[in-house]
Amino acid sequence: MAEYWDIKVEDIFNSMQERFRPDGAKDVDAVFGYDILDEGKWKLTVKNNEMKLSKTDDLSGCISTMKADGETFVGVNTGKVDATNAFMSGKVKVEGDMGAFGKTGKLFRKYIIAKKEMTVKEYLADMFATIVPRFKAKEAEGLDAAFAFDLGGPQGGKWTVFIKDKVCTVTTEIEGSPTVTLEFNDAKDYVDFILGKIDAQSILAAGKAAAKGDINMMASKWPILFEKYKDPMGGNVQEQELLVLKKTIAVNQKFSTGPIMGKFLKGLKDKKIYANKCPKCGRLQLPPREVCAECRVRAADFLEVGPKGEVRYMDVVFYAMPDPLTGVARETPYGSINILLDGCKGNETLPHFIRKDQIEKIKSGWNEKKGTRVRPVWEENRIGDIWDIKYFEIDE
Amino acid sequence: MANKIAICAVAQIKNDPNYHYLRFQNMLLECFESIMKQTKVTFDMEKGIRTIITCSDDMFDARTISNNGMTDVVGAHFRGEEKMAQESINGLGYAMACILSGHDDLILFMGHCKESQGESRRMVSNLAYDPFYCRPLGMDYHNVDAMQARAYMEKSSVTDEHLAKVVVRSRKNGKNNPYGRENKIVTEKEVLQSPMYSDPLRELYVYPVTDWAYGMLLCSEERAKEFTKNPVYITGYGSCMDTYFLGDKDITSNFSLKNASQRAYAKAGIKDPKKDIQLFELSDHAAYQLPMWAEGVGIADEGKGGKWIDDGGMDKFNVNLSGGQLNGNPLLLGGAARAIECYYHLSNQAGDRQVKGAKRAVAQANYGGAGQHQAVIVMES
Repeated sequence: MAEYWDIKVEDIFNSMQERFRPDGAKDVDAVFGYDILDEGKWKLTVKNNEMKLSKTDDLSGCISTMKADGETFVGVNTGKVDATNAFMSGKVKVEGDMGAFGKTGKLFRKYIIAKKEMTVKEYLADMFATIVPRFKAKEAEGLDAAFAFDLGGPQGGKWTVFIKDKVCTVTTEIEGSPTVTLEFNDAKDYVDFILGKIDAQSILAAGKAAAKGDINMMASKWPILFEKYKDPMGGNVQEQELLVLKKTIAVNQKFSTGPIMGKFLKGLKDKKIYANKCPKCGRLQLPPREVCAECRVRAADFLEVGPKGEVRYMDVVFYAMPDPLTGVARETPYGSINILLDGCKGNETLPHFIRKDQIEKIKSGWNEKKGTRVRPVWEENRIGDIWDIKYFEIDE
Repeated sequence: MANKIAICAVAQIKNDPNYHYLRFQNMLLECFESIMKQTKVTFDMEKGIRTIITCSDDMFDARTISNNGMTDVVGAHFRGEEKMAQESINGLGYAMACILSGHDDLILFMGHCKESQGESRRMVSNLAYDPFYCRPLGMDYHNVDAMQARAYMEKSSVTDEHLAKVVVRSRKNGKNNPYGRENKIVTEKEVLQSPMYSDPLRELYVYPVTDWAYGMLLCSEERAKEFTKNPVYITGYGSCMDTYFLGDKDITSNFSLKNASQRAYAKAGIKDPKKDIQLFELSDHAAYQLPMWAEGVGIADEGKGGKWIDDGGMDKFNVNLSGGQLNGNPLLLGGAARAIECYYHLSNQAGDRQVKGAKRAVAQANYGGAGQHQAVIVMES
């Protein structure tokens, strides 16, 4: 028997049983034929999520039959030959029900050429080649999205995964304007991430990767749309199932503001910022609290401060947790600032956000040096909560 | 007998169904200021308060580390602050440990619970159970207590009529307590016709949702006279944790309460609680608990809870003259509330409900489903 890339046609058929994916065989009840030039004929029966393969002389009764030469067959099965090209050029022919034959694409894990290690490039090729068979169409109802991957480094590359009308397609470039783009400085990190060797949070936190666009789509939707990638080098060892109970715990709450916080929030509704003042040490508190913690006395006197002030501290957040009150992840990056409002001194600062496009221009101050002057941008319809101030912006 | 610690002052706000206009900080602040005013205690690093113990619960407050938002209103700024995330009675045990170890001689003990804040107290107590098995079965403190109630009532010949009596008496006593939750007086018939929660527990058999806060100043025996003329002493503390999983225990055995009370009695030198103690404040998350815990602390005969009620045991042993939790008090804080009631009697400040000549009192508390955790303190004038 001839060998192509050290692989025999028989190897492909003999490994079918272990590469078989019952998940991909759901709703398939058919007999498929393979007619490989100078090699022989095989009959594959798929029923009840199980398969049976036999070498045969008689391919009658098959719903569709694939015809190819040995080299093309091995090439297509190992990714050495592009399947679409082979089909278009007539090197692979399908007789019978073409639509039914399409289902065989999901029936098997890819045949992996045995070797000690896979390179990053090979992993990437395999990961993206298995995207379509791993795609779960029923999860894509009404979805029209493009997931782009820009993976850097010597072994990297670019891919876009399109999902529309419950069909998944992959291209090896980034086209148009993707819904979300995942960028990795080094493609190796991406491979390690997919293989579960490192977690997304630490890569993102280290600035080695970034997600742009609809991050939620990548974080929440992507894992549902595709079956988990299986490491071909993980061998045929049955992966142990880890039982996990996933629950969201929610008990509705009604947090009273009390008179002090209530007065502050009411002030915001009226475009006023109130601090409260300790009658003993004169310290201001923002937002106001019931007592001066240092003097242990009630601080019920209010003083209007600001609304303009100067930035004391600033920080730019790149990796945002979802807002626990809304469940929506904040758009990143965003700038957190502590502002020393006019009328306040020392550490009497108020925290809020800075206008997104001005993050780069903000200068922090301290007692001896003034920070960037800022002013609040008020929400049109104010309800007496923190977002009555949309954010602060540079006071020019 | 072991060493003792003194309670110098107590403070509380009125039990209320819903302090919608206050956040818990406001509730605590009232109590804090009252303690300061009563005792003139300071925060001097040598002679004043260096350690504050607080009691609160993350689940009821819906914030993790529920104590971190209140350090300023309990004076804990730049001081030691420790949280008791368990039944408040254990805060007294903790204060005892701090003082008797000699590491501190003055402790401010504050607690709060705003049960009205959450949508459902049952959803909160459901979270006390393990997520894999008991939570999906819907276990919470109501229906687990109901299971215990049914088994106990069978064992001790306690009837619905007995429980109705307990509830009616609680409401009456609550009227005499100036800090008691405002409830309407009910008849036994109304109790027996109230909606069924978990058979046999009806709505009126179970304590009502309540907001409350308290404060106490505790110190070493030697320093008590600096802060009060009328110190009350804690002379014994005993605590026992029964098994977590309901299926592991005999829920009618009173195992953990018997253990806890025997330990507390031994420390306080109590030989016969029926004779040596003049006042009992017992836990009553639900009405069946009163006779059951009365058996556990040794003032009702084992298996005779029903007869104990018939024989007038509740009045004979001065049980729950405050109205108890059944009249309204947060689940988490029952132990502190009971200790405070005992304090009033032992320092002769209980007004109309004063037990004349009361020298010794017992405050008991339990937490968890079906009386899992039990603690008892003995207090003396």
